[in-house]
Amino acid sequence: MILFLRRIWAFLARDWRLELSYRMQFFLRILSILIIVTTLFFISRIFTGFTDPRFTQWRDPLAAWLTGLAVLNYFMTGFSSLANAIRQEQVQGTLESVLMTPISVPTIIVASSAWDFVQATFFSFLYLFFGWLFFDVHYRGSFLLALGFLLLTTVVLSCLGILSASFAMVFKRGDPFGVFLGAGSALFSGVFFPTQLINQYAGPGVAGISRILPPTYGLEGIRRVLIEGEGFAQVREPFLTLVVFLAVLLPFSLWVFDRAVRRAKREGSLIHY
Amino acid sequence: MKNITLESKLASDAVSVNGVSKTYPVPFLRLKKLLRRKFKPPVEALRDVSFNIRAGEIFGLIGPNGAGKTTLTKIIATLIQPTEGSATVNGHDTVRDDERVRRNVGLAGAEERSFYWRLTAEENLLFFARLYGLSGSDARRRIQELFQLFEFDELARRRFAELSTGNKQRLAVARAMLANPPVLLLDEPTRSLDPIAAARMRETIRSLAQDKDQRVTIFLTSHNLAEVEELCDRVAIISKGEIRAIDSPANLRATHTQQEEVLVEFTSLAVADAEHALRQSFSDRFFTLERRSGGSQWLLKFSREAGDETLDSVLRVLQQSGAVIRSVEIERPTLLDVLERYEKDPDTRE
Repeated sequence: MILFLRRIWAFLARDWRLELSYRMQFFLRILSILIIVTTLFFISRIFTGFTDPRFTQWRDPLAAWLTGLAVLNYFMTGFSSLANAIRQEQVQGTLESVLMTPISVPTIIVASSAWDFVQATFFSFLYLFFGWLFFDVHYRGSFLLALGFLLLTTVVLSCLGILSASFAMVFKRGDPFGVFLGAGSALFSGVFFPTQLINQYAGPGVAGISRILPPTYGLEGIRRVLIEGEGFAQVREPFLTLVVFLAVLLPFSLWVFDRAVRRAKREGSLIHY
Repeated sequence: MKNITLESKLASDAVSVNGVSKTYPVPFLRLKKLLRRKFKPPVEALRDVSFNIRAGEIFGLIGPNGAGKTTLTKIIATLIQPTEGSATVNGHDTVRDDERVRRNVGLAGAEERSFYWRLTAEENLLFFARLYGLSGSDARRRIQELFQLFEFDELARRRFAELSTGNKQRLAVARAMLANPPVLLLDEPTRSLDPIAAARMRETIRSLAQDKDQRVTIFLTSHNLAEVEELCDRVAIISKGEIRAIDSPANLRATHTQQEEVLVEFTSLAVADAEHALRQSFSDRFFTLERRSGGSQWLLKFSREAGDETLDSVLRVLQQSGAVIRSVEIERPTLLDVLERYEKDPDTRE
C-alpha cells in the first residue's frame, strides 16, 4: 500500500512540476471559469420568472448550470484523463520508460489520472464557489451524499476512460468513446437543459440515449441532493443504477486495458503515436 | 534430475534467451484482407535466438542496423513480447512474470525522448526512483550517488531539454542504475559522448561488472566495435534476426582467420644484404619491402600464423644483417572483419 501511494505521489509531484512550468495556463483557466460563470448569470436573468414548474431543479437555471458544468468537468476528467495521459506519454516518448519500471497496470491507471483529478476538483469547486460568492447561488442538502454521487459517477466514467485509453494504446488516434461521451453527455445528460425536453421534442427513442449515459444519473442525483435537498431514500434509484454500471464496467475495462498493453507489446508499438 | 539441472542452470544464468522468434504482425490483417487492401508482409525481426548470459558477465551484441538488436533488448526488458520462445531474467519469465523482471533490469536506451523535457535532470530521476519504489530520502541519496559517479552535480538542476545529447545519454544510464538492478541493458551507452566521457563510461561499466558486493550483469549493444572488444567477455553477432556466432572477442577473431599482418620498421645502410638474407632464410614466405620517407628507413611487411615464431626469426636475420629495428606492429583481424564476413556470407555460422 505504501508503495502504491509512493507511486501515486510520484505522478502527482511530476505533474505538479510540469504544471508549474506552464504557470500562465493555470491562471488563464481560473479567469475563463469566472467569465463563464458571469456569462451564465446574465443569461439566467433572461429566464427569471419563466421557468416551467415541472422542472423543479431548474427554478434557478444558474444553479442548475453551475452544478452541471462543475460535475461535467469532473466527469469528463474521469473519462478522458487516462487516455490523455497515455497519449501524452506516447507522444513524449516516455511511455516505455514508465512501463519499464515495476509498476502494475492498475497503479498506472490510478496514478496517471491523479493530477487531473486534483485539478478537476479545484476547477469544479471554482464553478460552485464563484456562483456562491458573486451571484448568490445557494446549495442545500447533504454535501456528503452529493460527493458520493460525484465519486461513483466519476469511477464509472473512469471505466469508460480506461476503455478509451485502451483504444489509444492500440489504435493511437480516433477514439469513438470520446466523441460519443464528450458531445453526448453535454447534449443528452441534462447539463444545460432538462432531459425531459428531449422526450418532448425528439420522442422517446432519442430520449432513450440519455438513459444509457452514466452522467445522466450522476447529474440527476447531485442536483436532486444539492438543489432540491433530497435524501438518500429519494435518490436511491439513480445511485443503484450507477452501482450496476460500475459492477459491469470496472472488471471489463481493466481486462481490456491489460489486453491492450499486451497487444501493443506484441506489435512493438508502445512508443508509436 | 534433468529438471534440477535445468533449474540450477537457469539460476546461474542472469539472462537466458531460449528459441526466441519475433515477427511483427501486420496490424488489422483480417480487416485489410476483408477490404482487399494492400499490406506489407509481416516483419521477421528475430529467428530462433538462443543464448545465456552468466551473472556478472559483460555480454555484447553486435550487428548491422535492422539486425534485431533493439527488438531483442526490448524483449529482455519486457517491452516487447516474443512470438515464440521465451526469455528469463534471474529465472523470471519476461512475459508471465514481467513485473519481477522489471525489478531486476535497468534499461538505458538510445531514445532521447524517454525523459520529461520540462523537468530538471534531478526531478526526472526522482520521478523514476519513486516508481521503482524508493522512498523520498533513499531516492535523493541514490540520485546524489549517481550524480557523483557521472560527474553530473552541476547539471542536476538543469532542465532535460537544456542538456547536451551526451549528457542526456549519461542521465539515461544513471536512470537505469537507480534501483541497483542486477542486470543492465545498455543500448549504445557511449554513442554521443566525448572521448573522455566515453572512456569514463566504459570504466564505470567495467567496474559495475567487477563490483564485489553486487556483480552487475551487462548486456551491451553497440556499433563501436573497439568498445565491445575492450569491454565484453563474450560477444554475439546477430544478422537478419539470427545469432551467427557467440564467443569471446579473441576467439571470434581467431575463428575468422589465424593470419596476422606484421609490419617491421627498420633502418639499414645495406638493405640489399638484409633483403638477400631474408629471401634465403624464408624462401617460402611472401614479404614486401618499402622505403620509408626517402632515407635509410624501411618497412617490411609479411603475414604469419597467429603466435608462430616467424617474427622472432625475421628480427634475428635483420639484426644479423646490420639493421636496427625501429618498431614492430602486428595487425590482427578486428571484430569489423568478423562482422563483415558474416554479413557477406549468410551461411557462415559458428
